[in-house]
Amino acid sequence: MNKVLEVRNLKTSFFTARGTVKAVDDVSFSLAKGETLGLVGESGCGKSVTAMSLTRLISPPGRVVGGQILFNGLDLLGLSEPEMRRIRGSQISMVFQEPMTALNPVLEVGFQIAEAVVAHEKVSRKQAWDRAVESMRAVSIPDPEKRAKDYPHHLSGGMRQRVMIAMALVCRPTLLIADEPTTALDVTIQAQILELLDSLRHQHNLSMILISHDLGVIAEVAENVAVMYAGKIVEIGPVMDVFHNAKHPYTQGLLHSIPKLGSSIARKARLDVIEGMVPNLLHLPDGCAFAPRCERRTPECSLSGIPLEPVTAKQEVRCIHA
Amino acid sequence: MPEPDQALLEIHNLKKYFPVRRGVLSRVVSYVKAVDDVSFAIRKGETFGLVGESGCGKTTTGRAVLRLIEPDSGEIRFEGADMLQLGSAALRVLRRDMQIIFQDPYASLNPRMTIRTIVGEPFAIHDIAKGSDRDNRVAELLKTVGLEPSVMSRYPHEFSGGQRQRIGIARALALRPKLIVADEPVSALDVSIQSQIINLLADLQVQFGLTYLFISHAIPVIEHISTRIGVMYVGKLVEVGTSQQICVNPKHPYTQALLSAVPVPDPAARKHRIVLKGDVPTPINPPSGCRFHPRCPIAVERCKTEEPLLRPLEDERQVACHLAQ
Repeated sequence: MNKVLEVRNLKTSFFTARGTVKAVDDVSFSLAKGETLGLVGESGCGKSVTAMSLTRLISPPGRVVGGQILFNGLDLLGLSEPEMRRIRGSQISMVFQEPMTALNPVLEVGFQIAEAVVAHEKVSRKQAWDRAVESMRAVSIPDPEKRAKDYPHHLSGGMRQRVMIAMALVCRPTLLIADEPTTALDVTIQAQILELLDSLRHQHNLSMILISHDLGVIAEVAENVAVMYAGKIVEIGPVMDVFHNAKHPYTQGLLHSIPKLGSSIARKARLDVIEGMVPNLLHLPDGCAFAPRCERRTPECSLSGIPLEPVTAKQEVRCIHA
Repeated sequence: MPEPDQALLEIHNLKKYFPVRRGVLSRVVSYVKAVDDVSFAIRKGETFGLVGESGCGKTTTGRAVLRLIEPDSGEIRFEGADMLQLGSAALRVLRRDMQIIFQDPYASLNPRMTIRTIVGEPFAIHDIAKGSDRDNRVAELLKTVGLEPSVMSRYPHEFSGGQRQRIGIARALALRPKLIVADEPVSALDVSIQSQIINLLADLQVQFGLTYLFISHAIPVIEHISTRIGVMYVGKLVEVGTSQQICVNPKHPYTQALLSAVPVPDPAARKHRIVLKGDVPTPINPPSGCRFHPRCPIAVERCKTEEPLLRPLEDERQVACHLAQ
């Protein structure tokens, strides 16, 4: 398979006054050309820090402390900052959750998209502007010539997110990292954006990492999914296998605990729950971080170094009871 | 099934317009029609879910019910008494029967107060229990929501989001209310914590015979918890029915699109979505006729000019659409 991205044993820590937070701890995965990988987990599980590490946007007190990030065979962690800057925004680009804060409020959106072109290619201002308008048309913004001259506050949340996507795609990247791209949007607008991302990635054979806390969004868009908990991948595999035949108790608990459409037919008074709360990364237990909340825990769960191991041909799980 | 005359809360023709001011003289140039002629009733012991997208008026409706926002016109009857006609003293007494749980458990608890003060505040305001009696009641409330009474002397920042929401629920329960308005009570919480809070709310409803007005944009959550559901769009109620009528067999084209847009956590169920064109219109200048007509896949000429009223369609179901049948 043609691997666009291979992440090996990535570790990112934050060195705070209260102690070291291992936000990403030994994360490995790979991404084929045209594939979409979903990264799913709750707040603090390390999904966003993983994305920021891939683009080397971690700032102090955080630091990538180990591992390899091979992008088309090139280790991004070995690059100088100017070399990295040439890749970031052109070959690898990002779409963030909050389109209002990610855009500059005092610049026309067309100008902001054109800036990305100017930063990476030898083009005139005019050519860059035309590319920006073209890119806005590609993400189905109506009347792009006019809208390019709008400021971010003129646009609705959904339109702003389209602008962010137009900006991310204007230099024709091979890898798009979308961090909660629809979380701030209404559900009917979310449907529009998910549809758009799906059609664009097929058009451009784009590889995508889609980060979300919403299992529904992941199930609709991704081919493969990695479930993260407390900085580690606890389960990874094709969406069909992971959603229909989850092996890790956390994945199982998560899938069972969410209310589903159609629940009013067989009315259940209570939902299944995962007891306890998301752990504090400063005080993680030894061994499996999920063990304190797990119904299947045994004394062996507190032994450290539980590996992510294959349980089926395509599915890997970090649990000694799986 | 309770009879309609057992309504705990009846809302008739509720309206709330917020003025939009411009210029140095702050002249009113237009109005945000946040809630525009909304009527529904909530029966004793049921959970009425109010669902819709941002700006549809669901939160304004919830606040207006408690008169936290003063409605412009309409009638709000709580156990038959018209809330909008009551003086401040009578309203104060009635307010003990209705409480609210907020969305953001970080913003709704005063960071400088201990849990004892926060949960005990309703007693202080209504001058009910004092001293150790109050402490005992607070301890009892904390146990009811699944917290240790020993947390009383601690401050909100020491708690996680889920625990804070439990504290907010304990405060809402203090005066043994009849009605609780829950405004997006789980939206700010992690997925695994949401189900804990939803279960707690369901348990408390049985234990205390509570009636809920549950406001949320999350359709699966609303479907799970509600007896009946009202769907709002740009200040109007467009469909009302039982949880199953709304979520399994919706009749209004907006409800249908809304439901089809909900991502389902099952990759095998990737389905045909009704993707609506365009954005949610602003309530400042809503479209004429049916407010949904510019985005509606089945709109006809009539929809552009004539506003559809909420009409009964089958038992329990009401729809505001000329074409629904």
